[in-house]
Amino acid sequence: MNRSIRRLYMTLAAGFGLLLLMLGWWQVVAAGDLRDRPGNLQTQQAERLIDRGRILSSDGKVLAASRATRVDGQRVFERLYPQGSLAAHVVGYTSDSRGKTGVESTYNRYLAGSFGTEPLLQRLGAKEKRGADVILSLDTRVQQIAEQELAGQRGAVVALDPRTGAVLAMASAPTFDLQTAITDFSAIPDDGGPLLNRAASGRYPPGSTFKVVTATAALTSGLYTADSTFDDTGSYETPGGEIRNFGGRTFGNHTFTTALTNSINTTFARIGDNLGPATLGGTMTAYGFGTRPPIDLPDDEVSASGRRDGDELLPNDQPDEDTARIAIGQERLTVTPLQMAMVASTVANGGTLMAPRLMSRIEDRGGREVQRAEPQDLEQVMAADDAAELTAMMENVVREGTGTAAALSTAGVTVAGKTGTAETSDATRNQAWFIGFAPSIDPVVAVAVVIEDTSSTGGTAAAPVAAAVMRAAIEAR
Amino acid sequence: MSPRTRELGFMVPALLLGLVGAGSVASARTDTLDYGPLPGVAGVVVVFLAMHIALRLRAPRADAYVLPIVGVLVAIGLVELYRISPELAADQAIWMAVGGVAFIITVVALPDHRVLERYTYLIGLAAVGLLVITMVFGTRINGAKLWIQIGGGQTVQLGEVAKVLMVVFLAAYLRDKRELLAIPTGRVMGVPVPPMAALGPVLLFLGACLALVVVLNDFGTALLFLGIFLAMIYLATGRVAYTGFGLAAFVVGSAAVYTVVPRIQTRVDNWLRPFDDAQDQGYQLVQSLYALAEGGIIGPGLGRGFLVTSDGTTVIPALQTDFMFSAVASELGYIGGVGLLLGFLVLIQRGFVIAAQANDGFSKLLAGGLTAALGLQAILIIGGVTRLIPLTGVTLPFLSYGGSSVVTNFVLIALLLIISHRSATGNAPSRRERKRAEQQAREIERAQRREEVAA
Repeated sequence: MNRSIRRLYMTLAAGFGLLLLMLGWWQVVAAGDLRDRPGNLQTQQAERLIDRGRILSSDGKVLAASRATRVDGQRVFERLYPQGSLAAHVVGYTSDSRGKTGVESTYNRYLAGSFGTEPLLQRLGAKEKRGADVILSLDTRVQQIAEQELAGQRGAVVALDPRTGAVLAMASAPTFDLQTAITDFSAIPDDGGPLLNRAASGRYPPGSTFKVVTATAALTSGLYTADSTFDDTGSYETPGGEIRNFGGRTFGNHTFTTALTNSINTTFARIGDNLGPATLGGTMTAYGFGTRPPIDLPDDEVSASGRRDGDELLPNDQPDEDTARIAIGQERLTVTPLQMAMVASTVANGGTLMAPRLMSRIEDRGGREVQRAEPQDLEQVMAADDAAELTAMMENVVREGTGTAAALSTAGVTVAGKTGTAETSDATRNQAWFIGFAPSIDPVVAVAVVIEDTSSTGGTAAAPVAAAVMRAAIEAR
Repeated sequence: MSPRTRELGFMVPALLLGLVGAGSVASARTDTLDYGPLPGVAGVVVVFLAMHIALRLRAPRADAYVLPIVGVLVAIGLVELYRISPELAADQAIWMAVGGVAFIITVVALPDHRVLERYTYLIGLAAVGLLVITMVFGTRINGAKLWIQIGGGQTVQLGEVAKVLMVVFLAAYLRDKRELLAIPTGRVMGVPVPPMAALGPVLLFLGACLALVVVLNDFGTALLFLGIFLAMIYLATGRVAYTGFGLAAFVVGSAAVYTVVPRIQTRVDNWLRPFDDAQDQGYQLVQSLYALAEGGIIGPGLGRGFLVTSDGTTVIPALQTDFMFSAVASELGYIGGVGLLLGFLVLIQRGFVIAAQANDGFSKLLAGGLTAALGLQAILIIGGVTRLIPLTGVTLPFLSYGGSSVVTNFVLIALLLIISHRSATGNAPSRRERKRAEQQAREIERAQRREEVAA
């Protein structure tokens, strides 16, 4: 009988082996997934016990902090947002019932102190259970100006440091109060979609600001220079119908620079047709169109720019859609302010596209650096001399073209830029755009501004906002 | 060193575990040390010392490892119960004392377990009887009729007692019939089967037990009884075919039950897709998995997990009974969970060693059956809370809150230790047997003398 006894023991031992594996699966392998599940009371409770790290601006303002309090005799922490609605979409909220958004979500691991050897040290009692501070590149002085300028309107502003990709400001209007979001979410007025971060996930037709992309393709192709000449008759025929200039104007004989300065639709449509979908599409891809910008925000809060229906960028195969229309920023193309800021930033940075980044560094409680964001170049979109040529063309836009309202001549700074006025289905309403950078030599800031549903143009509605934000960025430096 | 002295030494880790654990829980609760649990700890120590002394007097050569392992399991269970609710732990400590008394009575009153063989059918009938009593007089709690209400709101779970009686019955019965059972005389669907005369009563008994537990809506116990039966048939006959046939019959039977009983359908569905109905039917299991995940590899420490909400309810329903393993693994992490599993594995290993060292068939079957019962019960409930198998509400031996389980399992351990002692002494007759044998010898001598005189 002893053989049977031995075998029965082995069978039961195998059963315990299976239990061991199953337990390991839940506690080690699948643990992370389970912790992220909505409605996990364990996670909610655990988070209340964590002294969560702060979120700070580059100029040292506290955007988010934690405060200890007692609930039923237990020490728990509550989240405070001392700046209220400032940079609300970027900072994001962390709430038991609604989860996390913004930087609160992307850097949760650090804020909650669950990175590296921290959890081990904390559990062994060698370290206090406290998250690390996340210091953003965002400057509240620039952010404040951006939000002031947008107040009362719908729209967005993105300001980048073109040399590093650091986000100096990211504003979306209307906005909401972060403290309200975690204490009484229903009290947020649901008027105009205040929770949506228009800067990174709002998609608008780019209008004429897209001509900077077309110009990049033209210069890079070697077929055109700033001095190439064109003849405008006020109209250009495409398979999808006739293209006319803004206000029905006719420009006659002109250079490429003049075409950009006055935003001549017929010339850019002709260039688009001439370059063809492959060339234009290649430049768009290099700029990052069609893929989600690699910014450190949650995936679902950042949109890729491209065709409205989400298909491949170009070539276009529909009869009512053509490269000529794409080239002037109309048709089925929608873009985010962030993507257009990346376009401006690339020109400003000598043709090199930098990855946009909100976090500048992470520090633990003792002020020791845990992580630092290194500037990361994504793509050489164009040669430096092409970028310089395009910069000169864009300077002309602000000096004497459609973008004069963006000039900062009183500050002694030359601005390069491009306006855009995208038509909407309502003929009296436009999406007003401006993208640009300053100073035009050794730029420190690149911006994109969009104002929704305005009766004015990009030059009158968006360019002044851009000017104010760029001035603030130069002064804050 | 004698086994008993070694045993005493091995008890020290269990004692330390209890003290440190209670200290950890108390300090997590109040930020300072609290001496509240000390009388409880002292009480349980006294109970174990009394059990140890009983062994010293009546079964000195019994296995030295079993009681210390039980001590470790009991310490973990009590500390975790104290963490969930000091009142529950105090209650459980009293049940430990009752269990200790039952243990001592068993060791003292039953110096030779082989006397049980004389009452084979009586014990079998008692097992069935207990289940019938539960069926007739039972109180339904959470849909299952498991409890008998006795005075003052106390309830007892007679199924736990029936479990031990059934093992004793099967051991005695199979000891008699194992040769018959081992030689197949016919075939059913290509499977060799033993003569019906030998198999019949066993099947009848098992059928009665299963029918009762199905009526009582207690599938955990049904599964446990079936497992014990198959394990003991295998031990007795050494034939895998019977076990295979039993398992096949079980699978067919389960499929039938699944299609007929909605409650079982829900349970299986929750097992396969617990997150589909995480707020309602799947709630218990999902919360258990969340608690395990939160524990991670090393766990936050005893008293530092999130098991009880601020209003005093447990985050997992039935945490103190069915989900004790989840509670321990949540606070002590994977390391603690593995430790607990290894604790059970070592206990089972000792049980099977005792079975292997026993000198006669009955002892081997009894020890093997009792050990298999313990192991299967642990696998059933731990497998349920870790989603290895569908959830059944059997208790986790020595850890779950509840008197019937504690007392029964203490008696089970007492039986194992008696068997161990008997085999170590080469089945030497007990003092009472010796006296009786001497008396018989004297009587024979006297009779012979009378005959001589008469001649």
